[in-house]
Amino acid sequence: MSIEVKDIHFSYGKIKALEEVSLDLPQGAAGLLGPNGAGKSTLIRILLGFLSADEGGGRVLGYDIKDEQTEIRRYVGYMPEDDCFIPGLDAVSFTSYLGELSGMPRQEAMKRAHEVLYYVGLEESRYRNLETYSSGMKQRLKLAQAIVHDPKLIFLDEPTSGLDPQGRNEILELIMDISSKKDIQVLISSHILPDIELTCKYVVILNKGKLAAQGDISELKEIRDLYEMKIKGEAGGFLQKLKALKCKVEETEDGILKVYWPPKQDKQEIFRIAAEEKIQLRHFVKSETSLEDLFAQVVGVD
Amino acid sequence: MTIKEKGYSHWDGEFLVRKFPWWPITRYGIRLTFQRKFFRLAFPLSLLPAVFFLGLIYVSERLEDFPFLKGEIVQLLEISPNFFKTYLTQGFMLFIMLMIVIFCGASLISDDLKHNSLQLYFSRPLKKKDYFLGKIAVIVFFLFIITLIPGLVFFIMKLVFSGSLKFFLSYPWLPLSIIGYSLILTGFFSFYTLFLSSLSKNRRLVAILIFGIYYLSEIVYLIFRSEFRSHYVSLVSLRANLQQVGAHIFGQKTPFDISWIFSFLVLLGICVFAGFILKSKVKGVEIVK
Repeated sequence: MSIEVKDIHFSYGKIKALEEVSLDLPQGAAGLLGPNGAGKSTLIRILLGFLSADEGGGRVLGYDIKDEQTEIRRYVGYMPEDDCFIPGLDAVSFTSYLGELSGMPRQEAMKRAHEVLYYVGLEESRYRNLETYSSGMKQRLKLAQAIVHDPKLIFLDEPTSGLDPQGRNEILELIMDISSKKDIQVLISSHILPDIELTCKYVVILNKGKLAAQGDISELKEIRDLYEMKIKGEAGGFLQKLKALKCKVEETEDGILKVYWPPKQDKQEIFRIAAEEKIQLRHFVKSETSLEDLFAQVVGVD
Repeated sequence: MTIKEKGYSHWDGEFLVRKFPWWPITRYGIRLTFQRKFFRLAFPLSLLPAVFFLGLIYVSERLEDFPFLKGEIVQLLEISPNFFKTYLTQGFMLFIMLMIVIFCGASLISDDLKHNSLQLYFSRPLKKKDYFLGKIAVIVFFLFIITLIPGLVFFIMKLVFSGSLKFFLSYPWLPLSIIGYSLILTGFFSFYTLFLSSLSKNRRLVAILIFGIYYLSEIVYLIFRSEFRSHYVSLVSLRANLQQVGAHIFGQKTPFDISWIFSFLVLLGICVFAGFILKSKVKGVEIVK
């Protein structure tokens, strides 16, 4: 396990940002999902040692998050969410500077800066002043500085925010390349579900500072069956009985009911309840659960 | 867009465990300062007083070559600890130091705040103290060029021009005074500048604050002096405190009839306060409550 944390609590004054969060992330790309304010960035900042957990602890790459922050930062790359750069520098100087700060020898850092800038597609503009970079270029540059010291683990905080579709695809392509072929573990924090679904196999979902779900995306999607149905008749009693069976029911704008059916529950029950409530089932389809559905289910938002 | 044509390759080097992990910060800070055209032009001018004082040392040893120098001028050319004190504590030199810290120091933290780069520093194996040391060393570098180095060069050149060790034997403690006072000057200006630089994301505002607070303290001192006629009011003036401490360190009569310890404590208090604020302001992450 590259990241293991147990019972992490953290508060900003009276506001609880994280409560009892425990994680065990396997190798490969993992997504950190959650709505805004769920505690994703706070968790990453605790893992990096920017913030100190009020309670609980853990290890990143085997190093203690409270006592061995310097070691963690040596072997971890971080791509922050906000635009961040050092004015007056060009991309090569900027990237090699941060490589040096990671502990790389000066010449090696410079050589490596050229390599990673080439890798992220900034080779043409590597001598341009950073202040003249577009949002997409800055995003690539942030990725370059995160990998310049060849980290074993990279934290990517909203890597595609503010990018146009093409730029987004290019960044995602890079992330997939790094995580799948380069033996570097990636933890991507995002609220853009398709990005996570595309790049990650494992997901951690946070909601209101608490762990809502974690696991392999494909396994999580199978926890509950999703049925889509259209009904005719008085729906009140039908829906109540479904909810009594711990089903989560959502109604879409075009009148389709999405029923998340609990595991090990016989789906014939749906037809029995419909018959009892004199409901006509006019459309009944077992639907493919997407990450979006899973997210909506565990977080309780559409 | 073509990416990965060359592909990502792992780095097979080994990380250095630097004795001075802050050194890259200092090197880049100095480099960025010299990138400013105006600074490149103005900085050599700040060495003119040193050249002038060095000329005075030469003339003082060759008075027979300058027969037209008589009376008070000859007294001025007497090289003693007062000569060194005059160079390091005169108002004009303090003004030059202020200008230098404005150019090299105003943006040191404010730019990092403005461009969110603190998180880039602190996601590296750096401690807060390394960050501060790296930034302070930039200011120290430029101030030493106009304080410590000229002071020691004057001392050495005095021995060279006189061709004897008499001056050294008369004032063996003088090099220590030069080093000590240079450290106090650079220490004070470093904390003063970094503290103000951490207060705003706007480097121009920081520059105004550095200049304004220094001279505001002087104006307040002048007002209080005319009002209270007490030497203790000199404690509100940054310039007066620096001069008071400087005079004591060079074994000269202090300009104000109060103990130099008070002035030293005022300067120390400012540094401690600045350090405390810096520690709380500079964080890897900005917490919005």
